[in-house]
Amino acid sequence: MTGYLLLSPAFLIILLVMIVPLLFGLVFSLFDFQFGSGGGLGAFIGLRNYLGFFRNSSGLQSLKVTFMFTAIALTGELGMGLLIASLLMRVPANLGSLLRTIFCIPMLISPIVVGLIWRYVYDPTYGVVYGLLRAVGLKSLFGGLSTPGWALVCVAFADIWETTPFMILVITAGLACVPPELYEAADIDGAGRTRKFVSITIPMLNKVLAVVILVRGGDAFRVFDIIYVLTAGGPANSTLSLSIYAFKEGFVKYQMGYAMAVSLITLAILAGLFGPLTKISTNPEQLR
Amino acid sequence: MKRKKVGYYFNESGKYAILAFFAIWTIVPLFIVISNSFKREMDIFSLPFKLFFRPTLDNYRRAFVTGEFNKYFLNSLIVALTSSLFSVGFGVLAAYGFTSFRLRSTKFLNALLVLGKSLPAITILLPLFVILSKLRLLGGYFGPIITHTSINLPFVIWLLIGFINDTPRDLLSAAQIDGCSKMRAFRLVLLPILTPAISSAVILSLQYSWNEFMFALMLTNIDTYTLPAAISKFVGSISVDWGKSSAAATVTMLPIVVAGFFAQKYLVRGMTLGAVKG
Repeated sequence: MTGYLLLSPAFLIILLVMIVPLLFGLVFSLFDFQFGSGGGLGAFIGLRNYLGFFRNSSGLQSLKVTFMFTAIALTGELGMGLLIASLLMRVPANLGSLLRTIFCIPMLISPIVVGLIWRYVYDPTYGVVYGLLRAVGLKSLFGGLSTPGWALVCVAFADIWETTPFMILVITAGLACVPPELYEAADIDGAGRTRKFVSITIPMLNKVLAVVILVRGGDAFRVFDIIYVLTAGGPANSTLSLSIYAFKEGFVKYQMGYAMAVSLITLAILAGLFGPLTKISTNPEQLR
Repeated sequence: MKRKKVGYYFNESGKYAILAFFAIWTIVPLFIVISNSFKREMDIFSLPFKLFFRPTLDNYRRAFVTGEFNKYFLNSLIVALTSSLFSVGFGVLAAYGFTSFRLRSTKFLNALLVLGKSLPAITILLPLFVILSKLRLLGGYFGPIITHTSINLPFVIWLLIGFINDTPRDLLSAAQIDGCSKMRAFRLVLLPILTPAISSAVILSLQYSWNEFMFALMLTNIDTYTLPAAISKFVGSISVDWGKSSAAATVTMLPIVVAGFFAQKYLVRGMTLGAVKG
């Protein structure tokens, strides 16, 4: 009995703040629920909110944007993280820990502040990016936050800036667990650097990579804050992620029922994409 | 042999070049916002970027003395401290419950934690907003505190369970043989050992809550905004007051970066534990 008593405060909160709203959301999403109209729940429309999403051009656009953002951000931060983490293993320990401390700063900062910073960095008149491009005469190639083709890339870069540190930290911890004998043995067999990376580092990091892809991929798929500050979904819906779309439908257009359907579609895709990875990752098995 | 040596040196300088580039990429945006916060308007809007300028505290004065950011700072502090206290306190109890008592529904309860951890914030926010508005609980500290507590709980519980499972069981059994009750053994033996894990949980909970945006924006009002929510209102307007918002941004990131710096060991351990172990 004491055991359950100990669990009760934590699970009561999780139940009331997460599970109950989730169930409410499931129910609301079946109604033509317009919040603030004073008319209660509105008509029961079954799955029409869900079907409507896949027929709506903005809806499909947000799906595409979310996948693209996740792919760009995840590839960027994983590549950078792997590169920097493995380079940090090969510098003197003092320098390595100093650099690691510096590299970690962005991860601690609120995405809202990160967004503010990058708004200024991307500013067409005063920003550093345009300044540099102007100096080398390539300014006309770059569209910044105001052209549909570039905005998503710009937003993804700001996200990569913020989240690469997490990758560096976790991959460094993973690399530290690889037994050095493996590399020594490979040296004796005459393996080159690339070969060692492909045949030893990557397989040994298997589980760590699965976890970081799970954690960061899930975060990228749910992206909201940084887009909200940098572009709020524009220009021309080119950075409209699923979370931003659901937010706008709910709180700007008051289409709460539809917005909840969108957010639940997000959850379903998330589970489908990353659910299989949870089997490789560790957490659940830590329970006895 | 000689060729190999040349290649080696090239790699050596290439390595440092990449690390130097990455250091610049990390620092430059931070440097820009911090230096802007000490610049007068005319220095912010001058080209090329001014490295040297006469620093002024005017932006800070406008944000924190004549502006309202001191209030938002206090709000952030209240929300972060309260929600961290709840999530770590309840998390410790739950972790101990999980590890030291034979519970039958462990699997189900853990599935709830996994679900809670993977819910998109927007999936919770939309219905929670409706519920809280019907209950007239919108606008105060209540919304951000309960959501931050709840979102931190699964992670805090896992972190502590991992740690408890690593401590030798004999220690607890010995205490019990000496006549301690389970709860006394928890307080006298386990809690002191758990201090490092609790430190990790505290710093990570604080960091999440201090930085969180969506709940802090939508479940509060203009009097109870936390710093990120307040800053977003600034940037949202058509012309951004860069001086004032840079000062606010600098003050927002400073406490958590300083805390992260001093608690680096716990921060890193907390972040990497789940990923590397097992």
